[in-house]
Amino acid sequence: MSQNTVVKKLAARRSGAVKSNAAPADVLIVGAGFAGLGTAIRLLAAGVDNIVILERGDEVGGTWRDNSYPGAACDIPSNLYSFSFAQNPQWSRGYSGSGEILGYIHHLVDHYGLRRLIRFGHTVTDLAFDAGQGLWSASIAGGKPVSARSAVMAQGPLSNASFPDIAGIERFKGHKIHSARWDHGYDFSGKRVAVIGTGASAVQIIPELVKQASQLKVFQRTPAWVLPRMDYTAPDWSKAVFSRVPTTQSLVRGAMFWAHESMALGMIWNTPMTALLQRISSGFLRRQVKDAWMRRQLTPDFRIGCKRVLMSSDYYRALQRDNCELITWPIATLSENGIRTSEGLEHRVDCIVFATGFDVSRSGTPFPVTGLDGRKLNQEWARGAQAYKSVNIAGYPNLFMTFGPNSGPGHNSALVYMESQIDYIVRGIRTILQQDLKMLDVRADAQLGYNKGIQKRLSRTNWNSGCKSWYLTEDGFNATMYPGFATQFRRQMKTFSSRDYLAL
Amino acid sequence: MNIDLDKMLAKVRSSQWALVDIDWEAPGAELITPEQWPKLKAFMSDLMWIEHVGARGFAAMAKKAPNETLKQLYIYFHAEEQRHANTEMALMRRWGMLDGEEIPEPNINLRLVIQWLDQYSDDMPLEVLGSVIPMLEIALDGALCKFLLDTVNDPVCHQAFARINDDESRHLGVGFHVLEMQGHGKLYQMALKAVATTLNPKLMLGILAYLPLLNRMRDNIVTMGLKEESLYSAMQKYERIGGRTAAGRRNPWFQIISRHGRLVVNRKHFYHRPVDALVRLTDHYPRRLLRPVPTWVKQLTYKTTA
Ligand SMILES: Cc1cc2nc3c(=O)[nH]c(=O)nc-3n(C[C@H](O)[C@H](O)[C@H](O)COP(=O)(O)OP(=O)(O)OC[C@H]3O[C@@H](n4cnc5c(N)ncnc54)[C@H](O)[C@@H]3O)c2cc1C
Ligand SMILES: [Fe+2]
Ligand SMILES: [Fe+2]
Repeated sequence: MSQNTVVKKLAARRSGAVKSNAAPADVLIVGAGFAGLGTAIRLLAAGVDNIVILERGDEVGGTWRDNSYPGAACDIPSNLYSFSFAQNPQWSRGYSGSGEILGYIHHLVDHYGLRRLIRFGHTVTDLAFDAGQGLWSASIAGGKPVSARSAVMAQGPLSNASFPDIAGIERFKGHKIHSARWDHGYDFSGKRVAVIGTGASAVQIIPELVKQASQLKVFQRTPAWVLPRMDYTAPDWSKAVFSRVPTTQSLVRGAMFWAHESMALGMIWNTPMTALLQRISSGFLRRQVKDAWMRRQLTPDFRIGCKRVLMSSDYYRALQRDNCELITWPIATLSENGIRTSEGLEHRVDCIVFATGFDVSRSGTPFPVTGLDGRKLNQEWARGAQAYKSVNIAGYPNLFMTFGPNSGPGHNSALVYMESQIDYIVRGIRTILQQDLKMLDVRADAQLGYNKGIQKRLSRTNWNSGCKSWYLTEDGFNATMYPGFATQFRRQMKTFSSRDYLAL
Repeated sequence: MNIDLDKMLAKVRSSQWALVDIDWEAPGAELITPEQWPKLKAFMSDLMWIEHVGARGFAAMAKKAPNETLKQLYIYFHAEEQRHANTEMALMRRWGMLDGEEIPEPNINLRLVIQWLDQYSDDMPLEVLGSVIPMLEIALDGALCKFLLDTVNDPVCHQAFARINDDESRHLGVGFHVLEMQGHGKLYQMALKAVATTLNPKLMLGILAYLPLLNRMRDNIVTMGLKEESLYSAMQKYERIGGRTAAGRRNPWFQIISRHGRLVVNRKHFYHRPVDALVRLTDHYPRRLLRPVPTWVKQLTYKTTA
């Protein structure tokens, strides 16, 4: 079947009111972040345009709409942290800030005309498959359900922020801010501020807050490996070259891709490169921090790569400013006036910034998902999530997901992985529509075989080398990371083998 | 002593307290008598420093812990010993024993131990610190604290030590558990490893710093009126609890330390001649050879809030 006939056939099927809730769409997508929007763009390009995007917020952008804290920026170079099919010659710096990335996303929405597909204020509370009709139905909080022949879960791996479960948190009378829900109305000047957490967001926030607050106390539980981030302001001439000769930008992107790929050697597996990276990071720490005890406090006791490596050139310096203090005593409880640590002191503060990360569902689903014969995904995943190539799950036909189990990168751009997933999803959806299938379901044995291989390969990685991280479930099962190079992931996602599927 | 470490960690987490929980202005400070005052000042200062040195020991052990639960426990114990030191400093302040904002001056033997801990403790195998610390803790718990409570009538002091002793009972529980844990394995392998470890020059330096400290403390305490017998019975308690199971007795470090304990309390033994000589010698240790006080010491504070 040629592309044209597909499109005609689809047009025929679509006859009537596309926008009405009653008529099922071809595809429903949950989430209007990079993944949901990227999927829509590629579907449109493939001739599928009966798409509904359900977004709980009132704007697009996901991560970059929500994370607007001071200093928020990507830590993969912008040239690589963007879609290869929509490169942006105008990036103002090496690692662009949150606002600029959000601007890029808005540009994508306008350029590809996506806004008409999006229903804002639609929070999906449940997804269920009707095998008789071959339809997915999404329940919407306070609204009518939306149904479609296929569904894409692109609700984001790190989109649910909540305050952590710290004793006494409800007692604190001061101001509380979560890094992913920044309060831009709060004036930090002259304030005593605490930051809880020293992860990827914290190392970006701290150097900014230390300039504003009168006193900044940083509460650290576990130190991470830090590598310097080589940020720069992009000169006008390079922007001009990139926009006039786009292949130059692709070349730069390619070079960056391979530079990051080579990091996998040290970060994912324990190799001589791992030791080298650790030496580079320790050397950086030694040069930046003069005091031996503080260096000890900042030295991780796990292998580099086991947890996310942080990229920052100004974090260590910020910690040593006169108005900043690094506190590594365990937090005993929050009190009315501040934070009590186990060495007996109460740290009085006006405001606590929680840079404590996200609720990640490694062994469940963000909302109930019901497949064939009433099976529930969160029950099947109770002991750790599993899928086929991270995208499909046996027993849940016509359902696709981005950043599903074992799809996460530790060393390269999430968008590189995402593009491979999107292309795969588009092929799956086109297969359903072209062959007019009621069900396209991955075979259980294919999924099992795939996961055996993944878990075997994971057992040899640094993530499974004994540190505690959000990549692992409580039992130490790794349902998050892909154990390999981005190149390997890309290759695996390039083949769509129909042998592994049941089509009905 | 077989305990469930996970339950212990939960218990530790739920038993945290802070200096603000104690009313430092409550009446009772006047119960310290003028003749008690100077001795008590010296005693408290030693006590506070031992807690602080113990704290640093736990910090080193946290790096060596064989599992995550034990590591978390040691992280808490590190903080709790610091809390004890801070609390004791707050008591000293209440009794007018602090020079303004100043931390009490550590004696030279403490300085040497601090210096050793700062430089080498992180390199010590867990067995060494894991066997010495229960000994120090039991001496603290069984002799020093008891002595203090017998001689001081200030109710705030009693309040504070009720909390401290509560923490200490958990430290001892975990301490003896680990002591036994490390007594499992082939005896000759453990013995060989112990011999190899004692030959480690870093440990030898540590022993050289530790022995005179013990003797000096013993002298200080005795001049204050503590009966030597109570120290003696505390040491025996270490032998009794640590040696209760076969595994505990098989731990070569337990053997070394309990035997050494017997020497320390036997005043007539030849052991004391060289060690007491060392104490006098260290009095002449050239101060310019001391490295600057590490910054972890500067985190001590009598303050309740910051
Ligand atoms: C602070 C921060 C910095 C990061 N920096 C980098 C980086 O430098 N490099 C990198 O590779 N990756 C980075 N990441 C990872 C980042 O999450 C991904 O790169 C990418 O943005 C994920 O896009 P997404 O569309 O999958 O998810 P999101 O951007 O989170 O979008 C998901 C969308 O789904 C919506 N949604 C969620 N649940 C529902 C529901 N039930 N119903 C309806 N809508 C719903 C959300 O509102 C959101 O708009 C970063 C993440 C964070 C948090
Ligand atoms: Fe103590
Ligand atoms: Fe103790």
